[in-house]
Amino acid sequence: MTELKFRRFTLNQRIQHIIFFTTFILLAYTGFPLKFPDELWAKWMIASVGGFDNRTLIHHFSGLLMIGVSVYHVVFHLIEKPRFDVLFNLQDISDFKQQMRYYLRLTDQHPKFGRYTWKQKFEYFGAGFGAVVMGFTGLLMWKPFEAMQYFPIGVVQIANLFHTWEAVLASLAVFIGHFYDEHFGKFPNISWITGNISAQEMRHEHTLEYEAAMKDQEPEEVTETSHGNNTGPVTMLAKLVFTVIFLAITVWMLWISYNVLVDAVTTYIF
Amino acid sequence: MYLRAGSIKIIALLFLAGMFLTGDALAQDRVVDASCFHCHTRQVTQFEKSVHFNNNISCTDCHGGDIRINGSVVSIDVMSKDFAGSPSRVNLTTFCSKCHEQVTRKYEKSIHWKKVQEGRPQAASCIDCHGTHNILSSKNQASPTHLENIPLMCGGCHENQTKMQAWYYGIKTDRFDTYKKSYHYKSYLGGGKVLATCSDCHENHDTKPEADPESAINPANLPTTCGKTNCHPGANNVYVYGGKIHEEQSVNLFFIDVKTLVTYFYIIMILFELAFTFGLIFLGITSGLDIKGRKNHD
Ligand code: HEC
Ligand code: HEC
Ligand code: HEC
Ligand code: HEC
Ligand code: HEC
Ligand code: HEC
Repeated sequence: MTELKFRRFTLNQRIQHIIFFTTFILLAYTGFPLKFPDELWAKWMIASVGGFDNRTLIHHFSGLLMIGVSVYHVVFHLIEKPRFDVLFNLQDISDFKQQMRYYLRLTDQHPKFGRYTWKQKFEYFGAGFGAVVMGFTGLLMWKPFEAMQYFPIGVVQIANLFHTWEAVLASLAVFIGHFYDEHFGKFPNISWITGNISAQEMRHEHTLEYEAAMKDQEPEEVTETSHGNNTGPVTMLAKLVFTVIFLAITVWMLWISYNVLVDAVTTYIF
Repeated sequence: MYLRAGSIKIIALLFLAGMFLTGDALAQDRVVDASCFHCHTRQVTQFEKSVHFNNNISCTDCHGGDIRINGSVVSIDVMSKDFAGSPSRVNLTTFCSKCHEQVTRKYEKSIHWKKVQEGRPQAASCIDCHGTHNILSSKNQASPTHLENIPLMCGGCHENQTKMQAWYYGIKTDRFDTYKKSYHYKSYLGGGKVLATCSDCHENHDTKPEADPESAINPANLPTTCGKTNCHPGANNVYVYGGKIHEEQSVNLFFIDVKTLVTYFYIIMILFELAFTFGLIFLGITSGLDIKGRKNHD
């Protein structure tokens, strides 16, 4: 019996995702060293892209590309096929409450999700908000004197402030939250390449969507493979490597958050 | 005839060149200021590395007195004639103006000089920025006025709480800190070059306070200052207003300090994000541990 697969991402979406995350990583890689230029790792990272001018070039170019793909995403999805189940709704609140109750062992009933879980919606709109903030503030900072023809310089400085903060926030959300949920927890999750997810994942994560899709079908023979295909030596090695990278990035992000917080508190509050 | 004239010229040139070469060699062998050396060893050894020494200037050019090249007789008499000892703060510029007329005139327009004259010796004079006997060309990397060292040099006073606050009121001592956070210097820390240093914005010598209408940092003059060649060519027609260059100073909008507001907002956001992410990871793991014992797990 061939296993049933469900199409989750179109090719178009997968390409958007790849461009978005590549530019995101490049931006973080060339951006954070500038916030902490005294640190050894920062100097090393800047040297690794071939010096300061290259750093700037990569940052600007990736930024433009990210703005491009974000605009494309919005226009494409508004014009081509608007979906409304991606918006927040009341169901998300009760799903959230029930998930908390489930976590706290107050119920045995895990909430049943549709195509998008409340957490995925958070991540999606978080990324959208981040792209808008980073895009606009980034453009202002790139051309400060052009910006100053329309705004006071204070606006450029506030843009600078937003840019740092939002970078930290977005990187925390992506490098810790998103990585953990979608890539670490579901390792190896290659749906971002193939566009498909398995029937089993569909049943577990998107129960309502699964049920709706299978309504007219013959009830399938449910075979719980219990992630049996995830234990090959290659997969285990890959998972080990991924875990190490994930932990390293987590430590790095926590270091950055801590230092940005301390710096902000001492500068603007005390 | 023609040929002879030509060869005479060549011989003359060779002769001249020879004179230069030997002259150079002599200059290097010069037992410098031997008459001062015996008693002022420290000053002389410092001086021997300086740009002035390399330009054949000797102690007497500044201090006056009588230099005796052989220096075999050690005598305090050398500090005679028109000898001028250590200059006081107030007439220090007369030492330099002999040769650096223009620069000195410029410096004498600065706030630093004005304050020195008013009897506040902490303000910068030539020797605070350039050194005294060890003056180097600014192109020399070891010079305190070398592009990359200027922030530390100015910061030596303008970041120094005791120096700046002992006598003066209201002077900010965060100048280097704030400058360090600007892109102008970060590019250098990150391995690139210094994009603009203190004296690019404040002028080397006629440094003036912001309120002075002639100051390079007076808001009215900022377009020219920022618009210098190689800096921000488009700045000439831009009015820079509504914020300070040395950041961290607050930006107010209708009496609300926007920077502090943004900071509070994001501190809350980030703490929330951290609690949220790690809270869910923790809950997910702990509730997953006994998942087999539960009926309706996902
Ligand atoms: C025989 C030793 C001797 C010789 C040679 C000598 N000095 Fe002095 N110099 C002294 C002494 C002693 C003082 C006094 C130091 C003090 O007051 O602390 C002095 C002080 C000075 C001062 C500081 C005066 C002040 O107001 O504090 C200067 C400048 C100076 N000498 C320059 C020179 C120069 C230039 C030469 C060479 C032309 C020279 N000296 C040669 C012994 C000497
Ligand atoms: C470019 C001008 C200049 C030259 C050349 C120069 N001096 Fe001075 N010298 C000064 C100044 C200015 C001071 C005052 C320093 C101060 O007030 O701190 C000074 C101070 C001194 C003093 C007082 C002690 C001190 O160090 O502050 C001595 C001694 C001295 N000079 C010796 C010499 C000797 C010896 C030479 C030759 C090797 C020499 N100077 C060459 C400018 C010069
Ligand atoms: C006797 C003449 C003379 C006196 C007095 C003199 N200088 Fe000089 N100075 C020179 C000469 C000559 C040069 C070399 C100029 C050049 O290389 O273009 C020079 C170079 C310099 C330089 C390096 C310029 C550069 O290229 O960056 C500085 C700084 C300097 N002097 C400062 C001073 C100060 C400060 C004083 C007073 C304490 C002083 N000079 C007194 C003649 C003098
Ligand atoms: C020797 C210490 C010293 C050094 C070095 C120094 N300064 Fe100053 N500076 C002062 C003092 C003291 C004042 C205060 C004058 C006053 O009372 O207003 C001052 C005033 C100023 C002011 C005017 C500030 C105000 O509020 O009136 C500016 C601008 C300035 N300095 C810039 C610079 C720059 C740029 C450099 C480096 C190229 C520099 N300073 C190097 C001591 C120094
Ligand atoms: C506040 C610090 C400061 C003071 C005070 C100061 N200078 Fe300078 N000076 C500088 C800086 C900075 C430069 C520029 C270095 C560069 O970028 O080339 C400079 C450059 C020079 C130069 C060479 C370049 C030029 O403009 O010709 C000379 C000569 C010089 N200074 C002499 C003096 C003399 C003489 C005095 C006292 C009358 C003096 N300086 C006072 C900071 C200072
Ligand atoms: C990009 C240009 C720029 C650079 C670089 C720069 N400043 Fe300033 N500085 C300004 C401007 C403009 C002001 C006026 C107040 C403001 O906007 O912050 C100022 C103000 C000051 C003041 C106070 C002046 C007053 O009248 O209150 C001091 C002191 C000062 N700067 C010192 C320094 C020192 C020291 C450095 C180097 C470590 C430095 N600045 C680097 C542009 C600059």
